[in-house]
Amino acid sequence: MSTFCRPTTLADALAALAEPGSRVLAGGTDLSGLIDRGLASPTTVIDVQDAGLDRIERCGAGVRIGATATLATVAVSDLLTRWTALREAAAAAASPLLRNVATVGGNLCQHTRCWYYRGVEWTCWLGGGDTCFAQIGEHERHGLQPGDCISAHPSDLAPALIVSDATVVVASATGIREQPVAALYRRPDVDDRSLLTLGPDEVITHVVLPAPPDASVYLREGQREAFSFPLVGLAVARFGERLVMAAAGVANIPHLLDPDDVLHDLPGNPQSAWKRTVLATLASRGRTAVTM
Amino acid sequence: MLVPERGGAVVPVTVVLCVNGERHEFEIDPLERLADVLRDRIGLVGTKVGCGEGACGACAVLLDGRAVASCLLAVGSAAGHRIETIEGLSRDGLTPLQEAFIAADALQCGFCTPGQIVAATGLLRAEPAPTRAAVRQAMSGNICRCGCYPKIEQAILSCSGGDG
Amino acid sequence: MTRLVKTVTEMEGRFEEKWVLVEDDGLVSWEAEAALRHVGHPTPRLTGPQRVSGAARYTVDVALPGMLHAAVLRSPVAHGRVTALQVAAAEAIAGVRAVLTPASELGFQQRSGPLHDEPLYAGAPLAVVAADTLAAAREACRALAPSIEPLPFTVDIETAWQEQRFDGDLHEEARGDVEAALAAAAVRVELVVSTPGQLQTPIEPHAAVAWWKPDELVCFIATQGMFDARAELAKRFDLPPERVRVITEYVGGGFGGKQNAGFEALIAAELSRRTGRPVRLVLDRHGEQLDGGCRPATRQTVRLGATADGMLTAIDAEALVEFGMSGWRAVTTPALTLYRCADVRGIEANLRLELRRGNAFRAPAVMEGITALEQAIDELAIETGLDPLELRRRNFADRDQSADLPYTSNSLLWCYDRAAELAGWPDRDRWREPQADGLLRGMGCAAQIWWGGGGPPSHASCRLGGDGVAQVVVGVQDIGTGTLTAARMVAAEELGLPLDRVTVRGGDTAPAIYGPVAGGSQTTPSVMPAVRGAAAAVRRKLLALAGDVFEAEPDDLVVDDGRIRSRDGGLDEPYTAVTAKLGQASIDGSGNRGPNPDGYRANTFGCQIARVAVDPGTGSVRVEGIWAAHDIGRVINPLGASSQVEGGILQGMAYALSEQRVIDRTTGVPVNATMDDYKVPTMMDTPPIVVAFAPLPDTLLNTVGAKGLGEPPIIPTAAAIANAFRHATGRRAAALPLTRARVLEAIA
Ligand SMILES: Cc1cc2nc3c(=O)[nH]c(=O)nc-3n(C[C@H](O)[C@H](O)[C@H](O)COP(=O)(O)OP(=O)(O)OC[C@H]3O[C@@H](n4cnc5c(N)ncnc54)[C@H](O)[C@@H]3O)c2cc1C
Ligand code: SF4
Ligand code: FES
Ligand code: FES
Repeated sequence: MSTFCRPTTLADALAALAEPGSRVLAGGTDLSGLIDRGLASPTTVIDVQDAGLDRIERCGAGVRIGATATLATVAVSDLLTRWTALREAAAAAASPLLRNVATVGGNLCQHTRCWYYRGVEWTCWLGGGDTCFAQIGEHERHGLQPGDCISAHPSDLAPALIVSDATVVVASATGIREQPVAALYRRPDVDDRSLLTLGPDEVITHVVLPAPPDASVYLREGQREAFSFPLVGLAVARFGERLVMAAAGVANIPHLLDPDDVLHDLPGNPQSAWKRTVLATLASRGRTAVTM
Repeated sequence: MLVPERGGAVVPVTVVLCVNGERHEFEIDPLERLADVLRDRIGLVGTKVGCGEGACGACAVLLDGRAVASCLLAVGSAAGHRIETIEGLSRDGLTPLQEAFIAADALQCGFCTPGQIVAATGLLRAEPAPTRAAVRQAMSGNICRCGCYPKIEQAILSCSGGDG
Repeated sequence: MTRLVKTVTEMEGRFEEKWVLVEDDGLVSWEAEAALRHVGHPTPRLTGPQRVSGAARYTVDVALPGMLHAAVLRSPVAHGRVTALQVAAAEAIAGVRAVLTPASELGFQQRSGPLHDEPLYAGAPLAVVAADTLAAAREACRALAPSIEPLPFTVDIETAWQEQRFDGDLHEEARGDVEAALAAAAVRVELVVSTPGQLQTPIEPHAAVAWWKPDELVCFIATQGMFDARAELAKRFDLPPERVRVITEYVGGGFGGKQNAGFEALIAAELSRRTGRPVRLVLDRHGEQLDGGCRPATRQTVRLGATADGMLTAIDAEALVEFGMSGWRAVTTPALTLYRCADVRGIEANLRLELRRGNAFRAPAVMEGITALEQAIDELAIETGLDPLELRRRNFADRDQSADLPYTSNSLLWCYDRAAELAGWPDRDRWREPQADGLLRGMGCAAQIWWGGGGPPSHASCRLGGDGVAQVVVGVQDIGTGTLTAARMVAAEELGLPLDRVTVRGGDTAPAIYGPVAGGSQTTPSVMPAVRGAAAAVRRKLLALAGDVFEAEPDDLVVDDGRIRSRDGGLDEPYTAVTAKLGQASIDGSGNRGPNPDGYRANTFGCQIARVAVDPGTGSVRVEGIWAAHDIGRVINPLGASSQVEGGILQGMAYALSEQRVIDRTTGVPVNATMDDYKVPTMMDTPPIVVAFAPLPDTLLNTVGAKGLGEPPIIPTAAAIANAFRHATGRRAAALPLTRARVLEAIA
């Protein structure tokens, strides 16, 4: 038997989350699909929409975004005009109907869209099985890094936040910690197939943006003009002379690129190697866009 | 197909929904999806389920005035919000937007149409005079397999400036 | 006069000679110049208000008292043997009322299936459960926990070809000596093209609600052919047809994939027969994408021979088809018919794979064939240095090349000219010049041929009552094509009444007024003449009665815009002056589609031009415009007709750009059987589309002059896009759709 609750304070949410088997639900646009497919079976679902985490507010030279702020609000927020890449990424992710409920926290924590992982006919390596079906099967849209799991990271927001030097505030019943967005992610290994570093009792409460970059841009290529996960999504930011680039769609977690050698570490898998061309193109366009 | 179904395993609770201005109270698994509750429990079958995975937009309803996919929304999460369905929008006769859909022939089989109207209504309420580009963006989550897009675009633009 | 005549009918290229009953209605086809009040004028849809307000009831919306819900357990493997099903566990779940497995004794007969203990494709139904709730039915499906012993499978064309796994015979049609002609040709081109498997993906999935009552089986079915569905149910359950009623008020798209009663209705009926309760079976999206049907993938080789000035001397087309419809061979039909050529051969092999067998999808087979043939013709234009449209004009066929018969009408040359004019074709090379945005642009064209003449049997009735409202009944359902609206226009035209005085009913077999399946683009040319005939019968009787009422000679009277007038202008009265005297009586008429003219072939033609922009850095291809000119005879409703064309084009565009059933090579299971992974176009992908229709009604074909329109517009789009890509990049991709991987490889 499982239960559902909608705590009205963060403290209540954290207390509920401390119970084993509980799981945060924000917009539910990803979690509900995972539950449908048997990929998640929480005993307690904690809907955090009322926990007061939806504000976007100024914070020093930067901005603090509540984890339950929707992608739609981020895309148009006046406070975020100087974080172009972030706004563009939020405006490009998923569809308008989804952006109206999908949240920043949920977008960062969404699970892979690999069709073998999501498909009910397979239990792949990432899902606890022995085989990465993608590597022996259809991986044209998968990542460029070899490894146990070659899935393509799906979040548009993650690279945009990473290049903005954003941090996430993570809370649990036992305390609060803050870490760079990139540190939210880990490469799965045999013993721990999770793609996130969050503990089961932890929740992202905020994303904190420090002072804005001098320029930034988010470039993405999808399977169609809209409403498609990023085949390659590249965020580029410039702070003075410093260029930062990060990408979705090229590795199983968001990938920080070396601006002078963007393909480093991304040799490609047999069917996905074409993404190298796309990534290289977007990188050179992104560089131009932020230095003009 | 071989997949688990939500429902059954969750402790039912009392959920109060406000749909088209009316109050509905259920003893229900709060993880049931709003689309199913609207259709099966309240009988508002104008909201369609085309995919159940957020990918088609046929199930669009307005939640506090914003268009959302009701197939991914747990009823427990929808409680406390103002829900409007296609039936609610049509309660006082056809809206100018609906009339424009008919006039422009912005529908063929009509199965996606309630979702299109709901999404377009959400757009026009937020932005009464959208540009063509804004219309195309805003409607990109609503699939029409019959391919009515040119005429849907035209219908919405013809209402641009009206109250939709 | 009522007669039984033998006539040739055609459905998607299958010709059949049959006896049909015809009642000569004495009507002659409206001439091209005829001044028509409704027909030919843009008219909004009859059922628009219901559809936009959510009031329309589709099959998935039908809820009957005590109704059970059915769920299907499907094969997770491409080929296997089910060694065990936990039936007792499923039956033990609260609310479960019936479990059907391959071992169940069914009340109906079907050659193979419907439930499989040796599934031959992923998604094949293994078992079905009916329960009080859908959740319980699905839980019971899970509880069935099938044990499956995997068996070997083949899911790729190449292997199946090497293993000669043919479904039915190799199909060959030839005239002349193609090898000799090729050898002698001054110019030769050869092209190998692969086309993708494409899924219909209607937004309303396949669905049925069946209610087995003591004296009648009532089925609500999302079908394109309610009478075929009725016949199938009656035959399989061994019931008299009049005790089966099929209701199909609204259908959420079919695109060819919803024929007959189908698995859903047969199973729902069986479950209802067993449980005594109405049963609803709706495919979930995964089930729909796995088992709703598809346009099979092909690999085709086209070889052309021509003179130096581009006169075709040889056409040789070979097609390997990935498990297409049984007995349906038309991939090479365009090669055999579109151009004038004496030495031609088409060979087609249907390969048996462990995949869901193909079924009809808008212009089945012909679209695949055109996609290859028209790319080869484009190569020939390049080879001969001719303008691609000029090459096509030179090889125009004014007769059916296979049957050696004249066409009832053929405006293909007009279509070439009109499309060229609309698209600015003469300047097309301008697009190849370096562009400010760095994109590569180009324009391409392709032609289209399809049947679509329709034929008998098709019936309609018309009843004009004391309230002055004429009610037309037809035997077809409106799947979104606007059939009922067109019927209303034709009836109003013939009756001389305002549109709002005419209502049309369809979507129910109970009135026993027969209409054909909505397929093969035959609905309009089959049904509208019947509607006109029925309306004409009523009009004649109305005028006869008017003669009585106004003491005039009926032959001197006409009815127009709701007024009865004498030819000399002396009389001008509202028609209601006559109908008001009817009381409870009514004026009834019936009509039917007459036979097709002997010694002709009826075909539709068209030409489309596409402009694309290719990003060489990312491999993205964007269609920037489509210009379409089609010959469909008389256009009854230009508004609805342009919608049909736009819809067909968008599906054709997606076939070229994004749609493709992807099958996992190691398990044989489709990986993208969801709407998230199977990408159909959105509004953002939609280019400007310009549509024109040839202004020539087909007066030989039938009394309204209309040919069909459902299929034609999808046919040339993908080829036109592929040709535009070639024009833009100088390269041809070996396979569609033009994914980034393929594009980048082609232009590397
Ligand atoms: C059809 C479709 C297309 C999509 N396309 C795109 C796309 O193109 N680009 C893109 O970026 N995304 C895309 N998405 C993903 C969509 O943006 C995500 O579903 C969404 O952002 C998740 O947000 P949510 O608030 O609904 O998360 P939920 O579904 O509520 O949660 C998702 C996951 O995150 C966890 N979680 C949520 N909030 C927190 C928190 N504050 N702290 C810790 N854990 C949390 C949940 O436990 C769950 O595991 C698509 C989704 C769908 C269904
Ligand atoms: S890529 Fe990762 S998620 Fe996909 S099959 Fe391989 S292990 Fe599973
Ligand atoms: S049914 Fe909800 S998006 Fe398709
Ligand atoms: S009208 Fe048929 S899906 Fe849109």
